[in-house]
Amino acid sequence: MFHPGGVHGARHIAQSLHHVKNAIRGTCSSKLLMQQKAAAAVAVESKKGTVTPPPTGPAPTAPAAPNSVEVYIDDKMVMVEPGTTVLQAAALAGVEIPRFCYHDRLSIAGNCRMCLVEVEKSVKPVASCAMPVMKGMRVKTNSPMTRKAREGVMEFLLMNHPLDCPICDQGGECDLQDQSMMFGSDRSRFTDIKFDGKRAVEDKNIGPLIKTIMNRCIHCTRCIRFGSEVAGVDDLGTTGRGNEMQVGTYVEKLFASELSGNVIDLCPVGALTSKPYAFTYRPWELRKHESVDVMDGLGSAILVNSRGGEIIRILPRVHEGINEEWISDKTRFVYDGLKRQRLTQPMLKNSQGLLEPVDWEDALSGIAARINRVPGQEMAALVGGLCDVEALTALKDLMNRLGCETLCTEESFPMNAAGTDLRSNYLLNTKITGVEEADLVLLIGTNIRFEAPVLNARIRKAYLHNNLRIASIGERVDLRYETDFLGDSVHVLAQLADGDHKYSEILSKAKKPMIIVGSSSLQHGDGTAVLANAIVLADSLRSKMSSNGDESDWKVLNVLHRHANQVGALDLGYKAGPSAIKQMQPKVLFMMGADDGVVQRRDLAGDAFVIYQGHHGDKGAEMADAVLPGAAYTEKYATYVNTEGRAQRGNVAVTPPGMAREDWKILRALSEFVRGSSVLPYDSLDEVRKRLAEIAPHLTRYGQVEDANYFRQSKDLVWNAARPGHSGQTLPAQQRELEDFYMTNTISRASRTMAKCVTAARHQKSTRYGL
Amino acid sequence: MALRNGITSMLRQAAIVKQHCPASRLSTTTTMHLDANNNDLATLNKTRLDTTEGKSLNEIGLGPMDRTKDFDTRIELDVQDDLTSFNGVPKEHTKGRTVRIYVPARNQMQSATNNSHLWKLDFDVRERWENPLIGWASTGDPLSNMQLNFKSKESAIAFAQKNGWEFVVEEPQPAWQYKHKSYGYNFSWNKRTRVSTK
Repeated sequence: MFHPGGVHGARHIAQSLHHVKNAIRGTCSSKLLMQQKAAAAVAVESKKGTVTPPPTGPAPTAPAAPNSVEVYIDDKMVMVEPGTTVLQAAALAGVEIPRFCYHDRLSIAGNCRMCLVEVEKSVKPVASCAMPVMKGMRVKTNSPMTRKAREGVMEFLLMNHPLDCPICDQGGECDLQDQSMMFGSDRSRFTDIKFDGKRAVEDKNIGPLIKTIMNRCIHCTRCIRFGSEVAGVDDLGTTGRGNEMQVGTYVEKLFASELSGNVIDLCPVGALTSKPYAFTYRPWELRKHESVDVMDGLGSAILVNSRGGEIIRILPRVHEGINEEWISDKTRFVYDGLKRQRLTQPMLKNSQGLLEPVDWEDALSGIAARINRVPGQEMAALVGGLCDVEALTALKDLMNRLGCETLCTEESFPMNAAGTDLRSNYLLNTKITGVEEADLVLLIGTNIRFEAPVLNARIRKAYLHNNLRIASIGERVDLRYETDFLGDSVHVLAQLADGDHKYSEILSKAKKPMIIVGSSSLQHGDGTAVLANAIVLADSLRSKMSSNGDESDWKVLNVLHRHANQVGALDLGYKAGPSAIKQMQPKVLFMMGADDGVVQRRDLAGDAFVIYQGHHGDKGAEMADAVLPGAAYTEKYATYVNTEGRAQRGNVAVTPPGMAREDWKILRALSEFVRGSSVLPYDSLDEVRKRLAEIAPHLTRYGQVEDANYFRQSKDLVWNAARPGHSGQTLPAQQRELEDFYMTNTISRASRTMAKCVTAARHQKSTRYGL
Repeated sequence: MALRNGITSMLRQAAIVKQHCPASRLSTTTTMHLDANNNDLATLNKTRLDTTEGKSLNEIGLGPMDRTKDFDTRIELDVQDDLTSFNGVPKEHTKGRTVRIYVPARNQMQSATNNSHLWKLDFDVRERWENPLIGWASTGDPLSNMQLNFKSKESAIAFAQKNGWEFVVEEPQPAWQYKHKSYGYNFSWNKRTRVSTK
C-alpha cells in the first residue's frame, strides 16, 4: 500500500544533503555554491516524488535546518532560511515587490516578470519570485535598473492589454492598473494601432459565475494553478504559445468547481470577473463590512460589500485558522438570495386561514393570546441552523420562563451514552488547522468537498504537500484527491473500532490521525452506531499514541457540522433533533429559522398553533399560523459558533428589510406580551452578550476556539451503554454531486444565481465532457 | 501653535491635570509658554532639570532643535481626556451605539497590503436607503461616513474613550506563515503534484 523503499529513500536524501552541506562548508565561489545548491534542490525534489514517506515506520529524518543566511534588501539585512526566494525575503524586510503571477498560496510560475529586481554582481535583473537567496546577496528593489526592468515589462504587458479600464469591472481594484501607475511609463510607444492592433482573444463561457474577457488576460496562469492545485479541477489550461497563447478550457465547458469564484479574486486583471456583479458598482462606491459566513459549518471570514442598503457582493477575508483566503461559491454568490422571498411584515392567519400582514403589536399580542392559553409543557421550539446565538439565548430564556423545556434543533445527533452532553462529542476537536499536522484522515459518511469546501481545499493542500493519507467510509464520492476507500457502511467502522480490519494496522501506526465524522451520517439510521464506533476508534488511537510516548494532546475525533450555528445551539443546551417534539405533539410550536421541513403539521396536535420567526418564506413559513420577520446573517450583530467551537461575531452590512427586526429583539418584545413575569432581562446587545457569557463564557470569547476534552469518559459511557447495533446500510452522502452543493439552506434556495449554477452543473453533466 | 496652547490651557482648567512632559519632546517656545502659565509645571520642569545635572543640553532636550524629533510639539497628558461635555455631537447619534476598532482586511482582489497596516474605527451600521430623488444612497446617520484611521490600537481606544463611545476591539488574526517554496517543485516528479494542465 505504501512505497517499500520509503525509509531508504529518505535516508538517501539526508545523506546527499549531508554531502552537499560538507561541500558548501569546504567552500568555493558563490557561483559554484549556487550550482551545488540548485543541484541539491533538484536532487531532493526528484527524490521527493518517488519517495512517499509512509505513515508507518520511523519518520524520515528531516535534514537539520542549516543556519539561516543573511540577505540585504535595499541595504537592510534580513536573516532567512536558505532556499527562500528573494521575493519572500523582501517581504520579510517589509518591501513588497510588484507581482502578477506570484501568489503566496500557489506554486511559483515565474512568467509575468513583473517582480524583476537588481541583484548586485548579477548582469541581468532577476525574477525575484523564483530566485532563491544566496548568502550575502544584495538586492536592490528600487534601483534604476529595477525600475527600468519593471517599466519594460509593463510596456510589454500593456501592449496587448485593451485600454478598457473605464468599462472594466476590475477598474479601481486592478493590480495592472495600479502597478502601471506606479511602475509603468508615462507614455506609450504603441503606434501600431492601424495595422495589427492589439491581440484579440475570444471570450470563453465557463459558467454562470465567472465572466471572462480574455483580451485582458496577461497569462499569469494564477487561475490555472488555482484550478489544478487548490480546487483539484484541471479544467483550465493554456493552448497555443507565444502571442497566440490562450487561457481557457479548450472545449466549451463549465469550470466545475465549488471554489471557482476564487479565480475572480486571483485574477490580477479584469479577465475573470464576477458575472452577477458585472457593471453594477465601482469598488470605491462600496461599504465594506467584515463578517462571518453561515453557508457551512466553518464560519469563513467574509467581507460584505454594500451600497445604499443593498448587498452588492461578498469577498473573502484572510483567516488562517479557517478559510485561508478562499471561500466557496455558495458563500460568495448567495447574496442575491437575501433580496428574494423575504419576510418583510409580521403576519397572522385570518379567519379564512390565510396569512395576513399585520403590524408588530397585533402580531405579538395575537401570538401571546394563543401562547397564554397553553401550558408550558405543551409547547415546543424548533430552531434551524442559521440562527445566531443571541436569538437562541433569547428564545430559550423565553420558553423556559413559560415552562417549556422542549427546545430542539432541526439537525439531530445520536443521544445514546454521552450524546451532546460532552462537548468533545460534537466538535471538530483537532481544529481546521489540524489537517496540516495530521498524517492520516479518516472521513466517515461525509462528502466533505461540498459540506465544507474550504476544509476540503485544506485537506487537498496537505495531500499535495504533507503527504497526507486519506481514507473514507461511506458513499463513494469524488473529493478531488485519492482516498483509500474502506467501505460504505458502519460495518467497516465497527471492524476498525474492534481492530480487526486490514486497515487497522495502518491507522494505528499513524502519528496524528484524524477521524472526521460528517453530521449527515449521524442522522442516518445507523447514526448511533457511527458515533459510538468513531468514539471507540478515536480512543483506541489516542491510547496507542500515548503508549508510543506521544505527549501531545492530539484529539482524534472530529465531527463536521453542516450548519453555521449547530454547535452554538448545542452549547446552549438545545436538544439535537426533533424527536422530542414528534413524541409530545405540542399545541404551540415556535419555529425559528426551521426550514428543512423535519417537523410537519401531522407531527403536532390537531389545533396546534405554529409560530415561525425567520427571514425567508420557505417550508417553515408555509406551515405557520403567525410569521415574525427576522434578520438574515448580514443584517444583525450576531454570534456564531463554528464546527470547531470558535465563537465569531457577524456584523451588520445592511439593515433588515421592511418591518423585519433583529431576532433577539423580536423575542424580547414578545416577552412583554406573554403571561407572567416572562420579560427578558436584557435591553441591549451588550446585555444579551453578558447573558451569553453567563451561560457559557466561550460564547463571547470571540475568535478563539474553546477546546473540549473528556474523550475517555465519553468512551467509557459508550462502552457501558449497550453497544448499538447497525443495519449495515450504505451511509449516503447528502450532497453527492456539484448540483447538490448550491442549494442547501433557505437563503441559497432563494438565490437565482444558485439556481443558475444548478442548471449549469446539470447541463454540464449531460454534455459529452461530463463534470 | 497658539490654538494648540489655548486648548491645552483650557483642558488644564477643565480638569486637574497631572502634567507629564518629557523634556526631549518640548521645543523651547512651548516650555516658555507653559512656564508662564503654570507655576506647578515650572517647578516640575525645574526639578527635572535638577535631576539632569551634569548632562549636556542635548541630553536633556534643550539643545539645537532636531527637526525629526522635536518638530512634533504636542505634549502628552496622563489624564483621561473627556470631550463629551463640549464636542457638540447630538446624543442621539452616539447614545447606545458601539464603535468597532479593527485592522481592515486586505482587498482580496489585489495583492498589495498597504491599506491594511492601520487601525480603523467606525460606527455601527444604521439604515441606508436609495433616495427616490436621484437614486443615490441616503442615510440619517451623519456618523456613518466617519471612518477614522489610527496608527495603533491604543490610540484608537484612547480616541473612543475621549469621546465617550462604547467600543469593541477586533483583534487581528495571526498572519500568514512563511512556507518554503521553490520554482524547482514545478519539475519534480510527484504523482500528487503533477498536473495535466499548464
